[in-house]
Amino acid sequence: MTTRSTRSPRRRTVVALAVVLAVLGVFVARLVDIQVVSAREHVDDSLAMGIGANTTLYGTRGSIVDTNGQTLAGSILQYDAQLDPSTVGPVSRTGPDGTKVEVDWPTLSAEIGAITGQTPDAVQKVVTDAVAANPDSQYAELTKGLSTEKYRALADLGIPFLHMTQHPARTYPDGAVAGNLVGFVGSDDEPLEGLERSQQSCLAPTDGERSYQRGKDGVVIPGTEVETPAVDGGTLSLTIDRDLQWYLQQLIAEQTQNQGALHGQIMVVEAATGKIRAAAEYPTVDPNNVAATADEDRSSRIFRGIFEPGSTFKALTAATAIDTGVATPTTVVTASGRETFPNGARITDAISHGATPYTLAGVLIDSSNVGISKFAEMMSADTRYDYLQRFGIGQVTAVGFPGEEAGVLRPASEWDNQTFYNTSFGQGVATTLPQLVGAYQALANDGVKEPLSLVESCTLADGTVEATDAGAPSQVVSASTAQQVREMLENVAIQGGNSKAVAIDGYRVGIKTGTGEISEGGVYKNGVYFTTMIGMAPVEDPQYVVAVTLDQPTGVRSSAANAAAFTQAMTQVLKTFRVMPSDSQPVLLPKTG
Amino acid sequence: MSTAATASMPYLAPVPFEEEIGQRVPGRFLRPVTAPRSRRRPRLAYGLLAVAGALAIAGAQMLFSVLSTQSSFELSTLTQQQRELTWQKQILYDEVAGLSSPQYLAANAAALGMVINESPSYLRLSDGAVLGSQQPSVYTSSIDALGRGSVPNALITQTPLVTAPDATIDGVQAPPVDPATDTATPPPLTDGLPTPTTH
Repeated sequence: MTTRSTRSPRRRTVVALAVVLAVLGVFVARLVDIQVVSAREHVDDSLAMGIGANTTLYGTRGSIVDTNGQTLAGSILQYDAQLDPSTVGPVSRTGPDGTKVEVDWPTLSAEIGAITGQTPDAVQKVVTDAVAANPDSQYAELTKGLSTEKYRALADLGIPFLHMTQHPARTYPDGAVAGNLVGFVGSDDEPLEGLERSQQSCLAPTDGERSYQRGKDGVVIPGTEVETPAVDGGTLSLTIDRDLQWYLQQLIAEQTQNQGALHGQIMVVEAATGKIRAAAEYPTVDPNNVAATADEDRSSRIFRGIFEPGSTFKALTAATAIDTGVATPTTVVTASGRETFPNGARITDAISHGATPYTLAGVLIDSSNVGISKFAEMMSADTRYDYLQRFGIGQVTAVGFPGEEAGVLRPASEWDNQTFYNTSFGQGVATTLPQLVGAYQALANDGVKEPLSLVESCTLADGTVEATDAGAPSQVVSASTAQQVREMLENVAIQGGNSKAVAIDGYRVGIKTGTGEISEGGVYKNGVYFTTMIGMAPVEDPQYVVAVTLDQPTGVRSSAANAAAFTQAMTQVLKTFRVMPSDSQPVLLPKTG
Repeated sequence: MSTAATASMPYLAPVPFEEEIGQRVPGRFLRPVTAPRSRRRPRLAYGLLAVAGALAIAGAQMLFSVLSTQSSFELSTLTQQQRELTWQKQILYDEVAGLSSPQYLAANAAALGMVINESPSYLRLSDGAVLGSQQPSVYTSSIDALGRGSVPNALITQTPLVTAPDATIDGVQAPPVDPATDTATPPPLTDGLPTPTTH
């Protein structure tokens, strides 16, 4: 094959070059393969050889703070302790005089137990149990959730077969204050309830990683560190004022007990903004010790409970009547204590009375079911349904609390003859407390309904503030309608049955009570009610809407049971937010015409 | 390329005339070199400089290595120190956790005899008018933060109040009854029947 011509110098050069290039090409290909294509694999291989080390950098779960920045939920570190049964045995220690002392296992177990709060036998039993289950066992869980102090004390014992791992945990400095709203996390930092759960995207941290190579003595070899920093969770700011929240929780607890009720709730909303300043209820979970609270008391009944509002709805019906122009506060209807309406519906008042020429204001003052029914029939069912919807009845509020109920408001087309009247005084419908407070907020705020909010903002670790967008406000009724309804509510406070109990020195207050019936299995319970008192102050320029509910009070069974709690709650609210006393006089409206 | 080809040929052998390819270019003839060009003697300074440079680089590298190793030991010590301080911080945080809670504050205040006043009064600075209820405070608190503490906080359930060391936020705890003491048996009389003290 080799002819003379192929051996020519130029030809040989070309071939040599080709070979060199081919080899070079192979090297380049291999280099790309190593450095780029399977780089990860090789790096992992090298790290697996032993000198490489990885540590997870835990980000801190964000804290939950109240409107003034007081911590309601914060993060701490806790420690779990494990024993290695395969190496359990005597430990030699250097005594203070430099001599070696052999310490046997029973003594060590007593030392461990003294710190963890276990008996020496219990500590030894952990090991014997693990060995009994598996003779080669290298892992036996001793205890979980140790504080840093105990962790350091255990570490100072210098026991080689005692290992401890740290994990982030949650602490709630204020205990049960706002526990119903904040919620809690499980032992594995898994959010289980409340805002901890629904605001996980704000609060959850992103774990980072640090990988490095280290020498024999554990010192990091310079230049080998690669760190992906952890990103801490954001800080969740609530609209709640924790001092007020505490006071109201203490208050509702006392009042619920005093009135022999099952549960009680107090809610405070800022009239101009729809911000929930307190949502107190009894019983409330202490997130630090969830196990101490019964299962059904661990969440928020305020957002998850629905009830028949009763007469508090009369203010909404009155607002509808005024706004549609069919009535004014002094429009008169004649109502008896018990009446059968033309369509067959039968309505009864709580107190029997003869035919009375009630004004609309008088209907609210005496809380006459028959009277408000007479006003209700001046309007179509569709109009009333439409207004109730605009007030937010039957819809989940903008708060969007986890598990929040929507209540029950059937469409007007499904109202039968009795329901047509009953809805006007809050029967045959069911609301949550936030819905009711939201509706009154619109009346307090010149007819403008601001979406309720519980979360102010989320401040991310990099300082970005994500404000909560609760939605746009809506004009439910005209400012003049709202003003007239407020005047009537003030007359309820002055001329109504609770006038002495709800008076607050120096302030003009407007209220409405509600005594809702409780249905159980489709039948109304006899003689027990869900009582409500809702109001606003100062009524000439309302700053706050406060509502108090009691579930089946047995001391006083009507809404009068709520008067003491309402007055104290409202007083505390006005004091907390430094609302100045009223400097004007109320306008008295005639009860009858 | 042509130089490489010619270089492989015997140095002085002229190309035989018959084998010549192409045309002779006039004026370009191969001719024997009269004498090899004299090689310049390498200067010593360059060599020394190169060696010194290499030594300097090696030395600097060693120095940096020593320094960085040194600082990584220092770093390790400081990291350890930081860790211990973090532990201390955590221990202290655990100790004071819950002490700032409203329950604790209110119970402490109540133990001192402080009450929560109902309606406030305000003094208007512009004209000195007193606004509000203008009633003196009553002597009972609107809520009972100490006797009926109803907002639990597991962090401080056992923590004694600062203002009343025998009480916690749950109120005054009755001392545990010693089961050894038999309350049914009256105490023995030692010096006659006791007489009531009268004034």
